[in-house]
Amino acid sequence: MEIPYNVEVREETGVYNSKLGIWLFLASEVMLFGGLFSAFILLRTGAPVWPPMGVNGSILPLLEQTIPHATFNTIVLIASSVTMVMAWVALKRKDLTKFKIYLGSTILCAAIFLVVKYFEYSHKIHEGFVPAHDTFMAIYFTITGLHGLHIIGGIIVLAYFFGPGIKMWDSEPERFTNRIEIVGLYWHFVDLVWIFLFPSLYLLN
Amino acid sequence: MSAKDLAHHVITYRNVFVLLLFCTALTVGAAYMDFNVPGSMAGALFVGLTIAIFKGYLVAGNFMHLKTEKKIIHYILLLTVFFLFVLLAIPVLWHIDLVQ
Repeated sequence: MEIPYNVEVREETGVYNSKLGIWLFLASEVMLFGGLFSAFILLRTGAPVWPPMGVNGSILPLLEQTIPHATFNTIVLIASSVTMVMAWVALKRKDLTKFKIYLGSTILCAAIFLVVKYFEYSHKIHEGFVPAHDTFMAIYFTITGLHGLHIIGGIIVLAYFFGPGIKMWDSEPERFTNRIEIVGLYWHFVDLVWIFLFPSLYLLN
Repeated sequence: MSAKDLAHHVITYRNVFVLLLFCTALTVGAAYMDFNVPGSMAGALFVGLTIAIFKGYLVAGNFMHLKTEKKIIHYILLLTVFFLFVLLAIPVLWHIDLVQ
């Protein structure tokens, strides 16, 4: 049985079904990250000193050292959003070669983000700033860890469309273009979350 | 979507990219400035989060095409934003003692 409204617009909603689906999913994601932000605000407003002091002192000096890493990662994610949307434009122009270049660049940016994050985590953990150190470190690892998982999830989906999933372009090019638009919306959301995490966790302490 | 429309989109994406980089530099720069009333982070928080909201608007409006999206998507997001504010307001309400 053929799944309806993959390409054609559904009259009642004005959009194709998977676009409505991804926006509903993103709405639930807003609430997921919103809940963690809410916890962050509660911890911050309730703490006499922020970030709290633990057995290894304050995270602040180490956090200031990692601002260049986090700034670099912000630029990498913004660049990945641009390459993602350009991959969609390439498909609209029916240029599969450029699509592969742009999508490959997006995956590369995502991998760079994770590598930088790995070094950042290692440095903090090596200095004894583990999640159990204080409430700032707990919420820092929870939120950035969840964001990192979203990056990994994004890489898996993007790699699928770069590899085996690209076959759909030969049989249903319009449906494939819509799939790239959908995964693009997810990817921009991941970028959007980082835009708020960066000042909240690194700069405004 | 015509070739002309796509070309226009590409120019917009390029401009938004430059603006986002500028705003990122501004966010980092603003973090080193002193906007604060002594003993309060309110000034820095306001400036930092205002820039973040503007950056978010640029990404959602242009890369996610929210500016030209259908009404049903806008309604879903309006409802989401309402509940998000309720969620973010809970910690603030936590500190208000209604008895006094």
